[in-house]
Amino acid sequence: MLRDLLSGYAALEGRYDELLAAPGEPRPHWETFLRALADREGTEVGDTLSLMEREIRENGVTYNVYADPKGADRPWEVDPLPLLLSASEWQEIESGIAQRADLLNRVLGDIYGAQTLLRSGAIPPPVIFGHSGFLHSVQGIHPPGGVHLMHYAADLARSPDGHWWVVNDRTQAPSGAGYALENRLVVSRVFPEMFRDLHVQHLASFFEALRQSLLRWAPKGDGPPLVVLLTPGPYNETYFEHALLARYLGFTLVEGSDLTVRNGCVWMKTVEGLKRVHAILRRQDDDYCDPLELRSDSALGVAGLTDCARRGTVLLGNALGSGVLESGALLGYLPKLSQQLLGEPLRLPSVATWWLGEPAAFDDAWRRLDKLLIKPLDRSVRERALFGADLSAAERVALRAKVAARPQRYVAQEWVHVSQAPVLERHPDEMLSARTVGLRVFAVATPGGYRVMPGGLTRVAVDGDSRVIAMQRGGRSKDTWVLSDAPVNAAFSLISNTVQAADLVGPRSNLPSRAAENLFWFGRYGERCDSAARLLRVAIGGVLDHDAEPADGVAPALILAERLGVIDSLDDPAIGLLRAATHPDEAMSRRLHQLARVAFNLRNRMSADNWRTLNQLASDPIFQRGASLPLALVWLDRAVTSMMTLSGFVLDGMTRTIGWRFLSMGRRIERLMHLCTALQTATIEGRNHSLEWLLELTDSIGTYRSRYLVTPEWLPVLDMLLRDDTNPRSVAYQVKGLGDYIAKLELSHGRFASDVLAPAQIALRDLTPADLYPESEAIAELLDLLRKAAGAVSDELTLKFFSHAMSRSVLSLVA
Amino acid sequence: MTMDRYIVQHETSYAYTAPVSQSWQLARLTPRSLPWQRLVGHSVQIEPLPNERRDELDSFGNSVTHFGLHGAHRMLRVRMECMVEVSSRPAVAEAAPALSQVEGQSQSQSQSGQQQQQVQIATPQRAATALSWESTRDTVRRDPAHPEHLLAARMSEPTLLLPLSEGARLYAAPSFTRGRDWFEAVHELMCRIYTDFDFEPGATTVSTSVDEVLHQRSGVCQDFAHLMLACLRGLGLPARYVSGYLLTNPPPGRPRLLGVDASHAWVAAYSPQHGWVEFDPTNNQLADQRYITLTWGGDFADVVPLRGVIIGGGDQLMRVAVSVIPN
Repeated sequence: MLRDLLSGYAALEGRYDELLAAPGEPRPHWETFLRALADREGTEVGDTLSLMEREIRENGVTYNVYADPKGADRPWEVDPLPLLLSASEWQEIESGIAQRADLLNRVLGDIYGAQTLLRSGAIPPPVIFGHSGFLHSVQGIHPPGGVHLMHYAADLARSPDGHWWVVNDRTQAPSGAGYALENRLVVSRVFPEMFRDLHVQHLASFFEALRQSLLRWAPKGDGPPLVVLLTPGPYNETYFEHALLARYLGFTLVEGSDLTVRNGCVWMKTVEGLKRVHAILRRQDDDYCDPLELRSDSALGVAGLTDCARRGTVLLGNALGSGVLESGALLGYLPKLSQQLLGEPLRLPSVATWWLGEPAAFDDAWRRLDKLLIKPLDRSVRERALFGADLSAAERVALRAKVAARPQRYVAQEWVHVSQAPVLERHPDEMLSARTVGLRVFAVATPGGYRVMPGGLTRVAVDGDSRVIAMQRGGRSKDTWVLSDAPVNAAFSLISNTVQAADLVGPRSNLPSRAAENLFWFGRYGERCDSAARLLRVAIGGVLDHDAEPADGVAPALILAERLGVIDSLDDPAIGLLRAATHPDEAMSRRLHQLARVAFNLRNRMSADNWRTLNQLASDPIFQRGASLPLALVWLDRAVTSMMTLSGFVLDGMTRTIGWRFLSMGRRIERLMHLCTALQTATIEGRNHSLEWLLELTDSIGTYRSRYLVTPEWLPVLDMLLRDDTNPRSVAYQVKGLGDYIAKLELSHGRFASDVLAPAQIALRDLTPADLYPESEAIAELLDLLRKAAGAVSDELTLKFFSHAMSRSVLSLVA
Repeated sequence: MTMDRYIVQHETSYAYTAPVSQSWQLARLTPRSLPWQRLVGHSVQIEPLPNERRDELDSFGNSVTHFGLHGAHRMLRVRMECMVEVSSRPAVAEAAPALSQVEGQSQSQSQSGQQQQQVQIATPQRAATALSWESTRDTVRRDPAHPEHLLAARMSEPTLLLPLSEGARLYAAPSFTRGRDWFEAVHELMCRIYTDFDFEPGATTVSTSVDEVLHQRSGVCQDFAHLMLACLRGLGLPARYVSGYLLTNPPPGRPRLLGVDASHAWVAAYSPQHGWVEFDPTNNQLADQRYITLTWGGDFADVVPLRGVIIGGGDQLMRVAVSVIPN
């Protein structure tokens, strides 16, 4: 079996093979894993893969690519086979990374402090000042504890001789730790027994250290320490990770517009008012963090954040300006800096790098161009790295001329023939094949020095001999298993550790206003989708029902559809309704996309089930191909069912926090408005029609039949839909619920809408059975009053709770 | 040593069509104290009264007034008034090369072109120790320990507003022939910008790029300063943006009108031999006692007199009035 598994597996000539020491001979630390894998039946392996893929998709794990023409999230691809690292090998990496993070932190402290390294020439000034990550506005800022680099990541590659090299340092807002965590959750579930038997080191303690460090170094004052994770928003390529980490670490996920600066402190805008923010785990690029002092064209930042950092009222992880350490030329100076600042040699070498601003290095680089890669010192410069070996004679001349004009902006780098590891291929059969891999590792500052995550994110290149590994170019990743000789401390597992008893929180009160607003509109749009689907179903049913007696005039359901903008006109209703239900640019699809957009902004608050249901709805195949009316009916049934599933989730799956109240109020308001319009249409245009359609539209036909054994008549129907507050589809039910929610909110937040609702409540209460006929003045007035009240409550809510989330900052640059 | 004394008034006001609920502002409106410039009196008045206000130094040593307004307001007025004494700057003549007599007309960024005046530039004499522009560049790079050289190194690099420009490099090239004296080359660059470009208020906006200015061959003092900086930095030469005021004279027989002047901008280029030498490409002259230095930085964004972020406000009407009055 083992031989079968390995047949066809071979790393490229001249590469280090992570798996095999020699053909057919696995490295010792792989043996146990490999045998266990071989023992699994072929089908079992296939099932395993399918299971993983489904899990990833359903968890909504994605990596957005900004430039993706489809604008879609690409599902995260995980190879089920982890990369295994032996305990002794890991110790070297671990101590090397911890040392390197410490060194880089000191360098950063000098760059924004005394600048003695620059003055002494230990780092040539253009290496720093020529990098866009250097921010002169943060000069002189001393972060709490001297920690500029709260967290740090490095990209490692293994050369043919088995040594690890640092290829890149990631110091600004390093990504990947969350994906590593997600990979671990998925892969350890695929191989639970191997995970246990191989004593794989757990990741949880690393995240706990990050949490503790942020809390420890955060300034104090104005209430319990509040830590937020600042994201550029759902369109960022690694937003999934931001949401995951925020949830895992127990931090509130915020965007720049959720924060504001007053009196030198950062505050979060919540529905409870402003709350002081003590620490920000930042996933937003340095220069976009503050439109006041940094890039003025940033719409994402927090005006005044730099000054808060300057005054020490907020902890930023990482400190502003830390991106300058990503200057590609710095690598070449680290060995000397390590001696100078730490008094010890650099343990983990960087891939050999020369700054071409040194004339000797420039000349030397051109003599050995075949072995080198020439790239800009600043990776934000959109200029591709060029491999000398790939260039024609003419291209070399051109490159030399370009670099010679500004040599200080370029570096030359040797490139590592990166090692290869096995991945499990599905096609044509399950088999192992060798792929180029790189390892991203992570460190976090703690009072006892930098702590390294025992594991990391292993990235897999797309094709076998790829020299560049980047997630953005498409590629898979792997979990990374650091083995230990002794059993790991199982008590400190992912599950048992994240939350301590002392951390148990009650209903979350830190609801950002923006999130509250999104929840409110999620409620409204959800209801709007549901009512459109039901209305279309009724109207199409009417058109298809050939047996129906031809009634006078146009069917009221059609009039209502036109009034609500579901169809454009009453001409040729069959075509209009079909388009409304199934065309990707028409009512049903538009409303679902509106809902999906709001849901997108709530992704971190939605369950995977919710999210999946909604995605399936919005991208239903019906929108891709032409359909007939009967097919449209089948689709609308499906849509109504799914919408009910969604509301079921809300009813069943959400805690009754203040956020839930906003969502529910949105639903009640929307349903009330819809009911009023439907009843207005029915009592005016539909006086002479049967009432079946109205009962069907309001999902009340079953209730009616169970109560009354006659065909629908006005008195009982109006009673059920207007006055019966036990019918969840009645006007009275919406008004009662809305009144209750408002009363509860007013208890804690003061009056804002009860006065607006009161007249409608009174008018509804005063309605008597004698008023229940279609021509009734009282009903006409009541419906009008209720519609206006619903709109007014919505306005008052916005004014009271959402208005300070008004986001558009206007920037003024004045001569 | 002669000394001139001025009163400068600089008022910026905004009228908003809708209330502004939040406003965070940075005012760089404090003239620097320099060996040849003394600040005798200074005040910045802000209306409405800000909820918070604090002065800080930025990394260039400019004084920055941070202030914020957190209540609804429909207007904002920031009024700076100061008295400054300016004496002559250190001469560059001793070590500089002989130049032909240059005549210049004084211009500042003002709507009227009335205040022009004939100026004579002193003719510097050539010294034996002239330093080529290449050695100037290399000396700064080789000797970062020199107290001015870290700033000079910073001022040799592109900025967000002034990225590397191939156009600027090509434009500068004819003046920077191999081995040419630094002062001579930079001075000629200034003259060429003055000659080749039309001073035309309204031709550009604060966001006009150097390449656009090169294309349209017109602009205001800010554009000319930016162009000259892009040219010098493209060659690896250190230079900084200087913001300030220039005394302009009313046309003969007319009274001095208040508020018609504007802030001015020019360039200080660095040489280890001469230190920071101030070139004004708008007026084709070196800065003299009529130039009042407010602040300096890498480009306009570093020295904007009033820079802010507001929430709300609708449309806004902005007015700036500057008066420079000899005292």
